Amino acid sequence: MDIDDILREVDPSSSGLPAETRDLQSLTRVWVAERSTPELLSWPTDGLVERVNGRIASQIERVEALTGDMDPRSNFALIVIQTELERYKFLVRSYLRARLAKVDRHALHYLSTPDLRARLSGTELAYATRHQALLHNHYLASFLGSFGPTLQNLNDTSGNITMIDTPDLENAVFIRLLRDARVQGKGVDADGDVEGRTGDIIILRWSDAKPLVDTETAELV
Amino acid sequence: MALPLPQGLVPTEVAFLCEMEMVTIVPRQRLESIPLLSGDTPALRPPHRAQMPLWLALLLKKQRRANIVPPAWLHPASLADIIHHETNVDPQAFSPPPPPPTRADGRTGRAKPLQENIRRTREQPKPGEDPRLAPPFLPSCTAESPAGYLPYHWLELAETLLAHAADDVPAASEVRALLRDLQEVRAAKMRGSTASLEGGGGVVVLRGVGAMELAESRAFVLGVVDGVRKLGASAETTRRDEEANGGGGYGGRNAGGGFEDSDDEMDFD
Repeated sequence: MDIDDILREVDPSSSGLPAETRDLQSLTRVWVAERSTPELLSWPTDGLVERVNGRIASQIERVEALTGDMDPRSNFALIVIQTELERYKFLVRSYLRARLAKVDRHALHYLSTPDLRARLSGTELAYATRHQALLHNHYLASFLGSFGPTLQNLNDTSGNITMIDTPDLENAVFIRLLRDARVQGKGVDADGDVEGRTGDIIILRWSDAKPLVDTETAELV
Repeated sequence: MALPLPQGLVPTEVAFLCEMEMVTIVPRQRLESIPLLSGDTPALRPPHRAQMPLWLALLLKKQRRANIVPPAWLHPASLADIIHHETNVDPQAFSPPPPPPTRADGRTGRAKPLQENIRRTREQPKPGEDPRLAPPFLPSCTAESPAGYLPYHWLELAETLLAHAADDVPAASEVRALLRDLQEVRAAKMRGSTASLEGGGGVVVLRGVGAMELAESRAFVLGVVDGVRKLGASAETTRRDEEANGGGGYGGRNAGGGFEDSDDEMDFD
């Protein structure tokens, strides 16, 4: 323990958390958020998932090294490490699968504009593009090919009706306020407007909750 | 490959989150620090207390390497206080959540003296502090957590402790009975809150509700809110048009296309 650690220990205002703990907190938050929203959220830009994956890989190496020496004392530590590893892997896997489910459902929508494409990670973009191409080819071969050329599009937007299925952004979500804030929400009979306090759980539409979540005034629960 | 679960956390996922809550343990054996992905565990030196995530505390408990110190709010007297508050003081709302602690790192290796902690939890957070920490990363289930407030993961944590560490909970059978009462009182309030959902007011505040209570009724609540919205979509559009024509500022933002989309959606669901 050096002088910085001691200073951090006595100063209640510094958030002296190790980077590993902060990453776990961020990962948990993005997972909960991704599970709770009707639309796909942006891929974390700070390299969170890459960092976590790197740590998981090195931890697996450590497990392999520990399994080699059959020291009974390191045996229990090994159990703990492996349990934690499984929990971590579950988080990452569930996060990626939740995203994949959304990409699958509305692939054309997320591929339609550059803004929406920017939400996907490189791998997800490659997956969505290829998946959509395969699907379109399959449709062409099985039935679309026998239609006239004007009827073969899957993303026709003529006549003010779009063929692209979009997620319903007005779906209700639960959020928790991280600081005191005024919350406004659209309602059927009247628009709501409340003074929220830190820790309040609020039900409102995702389109109203999104600005709060983006500014980190609130998180999804 | 894609996750087949509906939007929103299901109870098993809430239980998984709850296992990240920090609890206080009294080790019975020495154990060196273990390098984990979420940071190193504190080295265990009996009889010094340490803070651990619940999943690790349960693992140590099962191997008889440690005892878990139940949080102060799980004491029968504290639970009885909360029930009194829920039934008599404020029969409409849930009891308030614990006050935000000033020191919110949840991973300090050693237990603080009790006095200091009580003082700290009563203080308001200073401005400029990182407010982003929230359950399960707040130390709301450690031995020093304030009595008389139910934290976000109260139901899951209490059930887990009673199931796997009942011998560490003082007056376990009494606690069990009190928890049952508490759960029933609050479930009635949760059901009652649907009355305000029907009104279509837009924002519903459930201060102090627990994670598992939300997870249990999530599908129902979301179904009611979305159902009311879709039924009233045309009325809402008309109201918004009127407000926009009458010079109202707020309605114009989303009046047009968004609602037509949601009408289309209804046919497919």
